[in-house]
Amino acid sequence: MSFVSVQQLHKRYAGTPVFENIDCQIERGEFVTLLGPSGCGKSTLLRCIAGLTPVDSGRILLDGQDIVPLSPQKRGIGMVFQSYALFPNMTVEQNVAFGLRMQKVKADESLARVREVLDLVELGSFAGRYPHQLSGGQCQRVALARSLVTRPRLLLLDEPLSALDARIRKHLREQIRAIQRELGLTTIFVTHDQEEALTMSDRIFLMNQGRIVQSGDAETLYTAPVDLFAAGFIGNYNLLDPDSASRLLQRPVANRLAIRPESITLGLNGELDGEVRSHSLLGNVIRYRVRVRDVELVVDVLNRSSADLHADGQRVSLSIDPTALREVA
Amino acid sequence: MRADGHSNLYHRMVVYLLFMIMLLPLAGTLLYSLATSWSASLLPSGLTLKWYVALWSEPRFLAAFGQSLLVCVGALLLSVVLILPLLFVVHYHFPKLDALMNVLILLPFAVPPVVSSVGLLQLYGSGPMAMVGTPWILIGCYFTIALPFMYRAITNNLQAINLRDLMDAAQLLGASTWQAAFLVVLPNLRKGLMVALLLSFSFLFGEFVFANLLVGTRYETLQVYLNNMRNSSGHFNSALVISYFAFVLVLTWVANRLNKDKT
Repeated sequence: MSFVSVQQLHKRYAGTPVFENIDCQIERGEFVTLLGPSGCGKSTLLRCIAGLTPVDSGRILLDGQDIVPLSPQKRGIGMVFQSYALFPNMTVEQNVAFGLRMQKVKADESLARVREVLDLVELGSFAGRYPHQLSGGQCQRVALARSLVTRPRLLLLDEPLSALDARIRKHLREQIRAIQRELGLTTIFVTHDQEEALTMSDRIFLMNQGRIVQSGDAETLYTAPVDLFAAGFIGNYNLLDPDSASRLLQRPVANRLAIRPESITLGLNGELDGEVRSHSLLGNVIRYRVRVRDVELVVDVLNRSSADLHADGQRVSLSIDPTALREVA
Repeated sequence: MRADGHSNLYHRMVVYLLFMIMLLPLAGTLLYSLATSWSASLLPSGLTLKWYVALWSEPRFLAAFGQSLLVCVGALLLSVVLILPLLFVVHYHFPKLDALMNVLILLPFAVPPVVSSVGLLQLYGSGPMAMVGTPWILIGCYFTIALPFMYRAITNNLQAINLRDLMDAAQLLGASTWQAAFLVVLPNLRKGLMVALLLSFSFLFGEFVFANLLVGTRYETLQVYLNNMRNSSGHFNSALVISYFAFVLVLTWVANRLNKDKT
């Protein structure tokens, strides 16, 4: 039996369904990501698990217990918000101690636990500061500490990195993952950022329009999208309609075809001839747009040296790894 | 740089000039209240504090001052007790009602005081709710005047603190709705509440029309007293105005100090 088990969950809002028939299982200690575009229902699902939004029907089992009838206070779930939601009138220490204060934990034990968890997020020396004296990244680490100190059974992260700038985001996601591993804490993470999802998760649930479209580990999701939406959302797939695909491969193709840009190689006696239309430098990767048999393909090439650079208009030959071709419905 | 300096000077001049214009009547009143006599000369003939001594030993003034204070504090207490929970409910549970509330709170301004006091006299002049002539009707009436100030200032404050996430976070950490409201939301509304209270207080403390029409001399407030004394010594009245002004000023200053200390 899974640690978290969501069964046949329905949620409607003002007559229109937010999601229907959601089923998912999460194992103890797993880091799971709900990934999807905004409005796909992922945040609502998270809020339903937390108890902040009521569900219409269905069950949510946490460690074998149905938590749907429980109030959020009694669920033993910690949550971190995109807006940090730190209490502005309290110091870092008071913020973190709030949950323990509500549980009427003794002062000396509370102090020890607050210290311990602040050290865990590397903010031990900031205990006396107020939230407005901290940077965004520090605020989010306080929020994380605050939700960890009550030792929740399940940790929910609602786009915790979306309000931060890129460098801090990368650092913090590694820190979150490290802490999660150290504590063995079952975690559900919500994001619309595929890179965050791919790098952090044990397993990803890809959501679209209130449905779980695909679930699996990062590798599976990236290399084997189940449908058009999955292929369009993850990676930078070349998505070809059946006509173009047939022309490119010189054989009839019934469905749409997805080709990852990095599975195409440029140069050195490939089987296809094409012409470079444009290129852009992404840093470690150069992204070409190449026209082959009246089909425009995006091709990613590792940026090894400037001598390899193909100019716009140059004729090139390509080869496509046949195992990377994927037909999607 | 020079041009900058010039425009800077110009801007300062405008501000100072405006300040002067606003301050001039007050300065005149102050001087008049301190003058022994000041009639056919450019400057008063001598300075004295006797008008203030007379004022502050006049029992009728002290009574009016106390009654004004009582009515204002009563009205503000009533509005805090009623408006805070109302705002909380509107913003947390029924955000759509905010639009309706914004219209409702303008009503006390939309109807001129003279008109609404006639209505109030009709309604509360007799029958089971006969309150005309008692301080109770003033407290109720002042409540409606304070409502827009309180509602707007606290709403701005509420919108700045992300009420929903704070409540959600507090509840997930084990706080009941009441605990979350008192321990988390209320302390963060202190600033808006203080601003609202100060604004309403200085407005209500100087209110005349309602006080005069609804209650008059039966429960004399400061402004009604001032009006009734209009035929007595101008020096005495000036001392009254300056005392009143100084009181509001000191109150504002104290409130600002208290507000700053804790953050």
